[in-house]
Amino acid sequence: MYGGGEYDATSPFKSLIRAFYASLNFSFDGVSLVCPVDEVSAIVIDLGSHTCKAGYAGEDAPKAVFPSVVGSIDQMEVDDPIKSERDPGSVPDPKNVVRPFDSDKIKAKRKLYVGSQALGYRRDNMEDGVVVDWDIVDSIWDHAFRERLLIDPKEHPMLLAEPSSNTPQQRERTAELMFEKYKVPALFLAKNAVLTSFASGRATSLVVDSGGGYTTVAPVHDGYVLQKAVATSPIGGEILTECLMKSLESKSITIKPRYSFKRKEIRPGEFQTVDLDFPNTTESYKLYAQRVIASDIKESVCRAPDTPFDESAYANIPMTPYELPDGQTIEIGADRFKIPDILFNPSLVQTIPGMESFAESAHSIRGLPQMVIESINKCDVDIRRELFSSILLAGGTASMQQLKERLEKDLLEESPQAARVKVLASGNATERRFRLDF
Amino acid sequence: MAMAFKMATTGMWVTEECKNSFMEMKWKKVHRYIVFKIDEKSRLVTVDKVGGPGEGYDDLAASLPDNDCRYAVFDFDFVTVDNCRKSKIFFIAWAPTASRIRAKMLYATSKDGLRRALDGVHYEVQATDPTEMGIEVIRDRAK
Repeated sequence: MYGGGEYDATSPFKSLIRAFYASLNFSFDGVSLVCPVDEVSAIVIDLGSHTCKAGYAGEDAPKAVFPSVVGSIDQMEVDDPIKSERDPGSVPDPKNVVRPFDSDKIKAKRKLYVGSQALGYRRDNMEDGVVVDWDIVDSIWDHAFRERLLIDPKEHPMLLAEPSSNTPQQRERTAELMFEKYKVPALFLAKNAVLTSFASGRATSLVVDSGGGYTTVAPVHDGYVLQKAVATSPIGGEILTECLMKSLESKSITIKPRYSFKRKEIRPGEFQTVDLDFPNTTESYKLYAQRVIASDIKESVCRAPDTPFDESAYANIPMTPYELPDGQTIEIGADRFKIPDILFNPSLVQTIPGMESFAESAHSIRGLPQMVIESINKCDVDIRRELFSSILLAGGTASMQQLKERLEKDLLEESPQAARVKVLASGNATERRFRLDF
Repeated sequence: MAMAFKMATTGMWVTEECKNSFMEMKWKKVHRYIVFKIDEKSRLVTVDKVGGPGEGYDDLAASLPDNDCRYAVFDFDFVTVDNCRKSKIFFIAWAPTASRIRAKMLYATSKDGLRRALDGVHYEVQATDPTEMGIEVIRDRAK
């Protein structure tokens, strides 16, 4: 099994984990006498820095998708007004596991109070896809198992997707939590990139995974990630959202969070917006609510430009209207193309007002095509050609309109003559997550 | 394991028939190509179709379904620049975009087992659409 052999030998759980790997192997081989787990379907969880995807193995789409955001409140403060203000207008329906994506966003993290001394309602728990705060991860898993999938983790083998850059310590911790707290019968950690590659029917490919918090380029050869050639950059969907927000702010457009107003139909077709005031709302929750809107703007209007972004060339392009939840319509012009182009040319960040803090580090970050070329060049000569011809796009940010075409074009210009460049988009962002269970 | 070779990572078994027809193709040249498929119920890799020596590459391409995955081996005969007749055996992993993810996963993970059972494959091609396994790709690789 890939992954199994790489486990850190210093771990005190080593033998335990080996045993579980072994039992998992047996179930894969169909020897059901040894381990009864192959009767039940495995649970697959992909905990991303932006969204968490969970579901049953063998299905085409995840059963539950919700943001990896945890509302945490100082225990002293937990009182009703705050609670109700955090999810205004949402209809809690915990039994309905399969929900449309949008409604998920507001509600999902509602019940996940983490009783630690948190500063606000929102906390990030992942950095570059690697878990930083375990309390929060724990509560996310708990939520996924008990409230979304409605299962008992004791009964199902688990398949967790992990980033290619996961450290042995992280895996150890994951295994510890899974076995000791949730008492799962079997666990397998699989690399994101490998799963993506297999899901498209290839054992060898170059996976470009651009998600919420980061972008990874990972070559996969015969089902193994070539660790040395993995390239990552911190540019992901969240940074693009951030840039879009800052850019709109500089044009004095304010995004009103959904909870801060009520919209009434006074006459048919005519609406009135009444501002509501919640003095207790923390800054970070407000920011989160604004980000949800900004990322929707990004998803609906942005597209990658065909050529590198140039301020003057795009100055006269037609504006695209977008209606904010409070009824005001904003026009988005050059930003439509400029924001996605940050993926290709990170130094563009400097031109966006309010992003100075990030701009300093932007120099060292390479654009997407460079990352791909560099990663391929670190691989063995024999497989480079094959990698060039099977570049797989995955992740939410990579499903941006026109991104595939643009990447293909940029790579054609920079790749060696003999290579056939082929970029494949692996369906939609969520489709790729699910591998089958034997 | 008397009758079937077992794949290393998945629960799939390669039937003796697969190996035998491959050997016939390799030594006796009685087949031009062989198409393999996985039967999920019996967990076996079986021979889906064999092409006679008179058939060509186009017949192989036509026998691969649009919406399901397959494995195929193809015996490519060609004449080199210095007028030498040569033959190379290609292994093709066919995983079209329209097929189910489950099938793609299954075929990708089981590929290695079949590959190991088939001794004497020169080149391997992964294809998701017909352009990736066109005859020019094959010619290019065989050079």
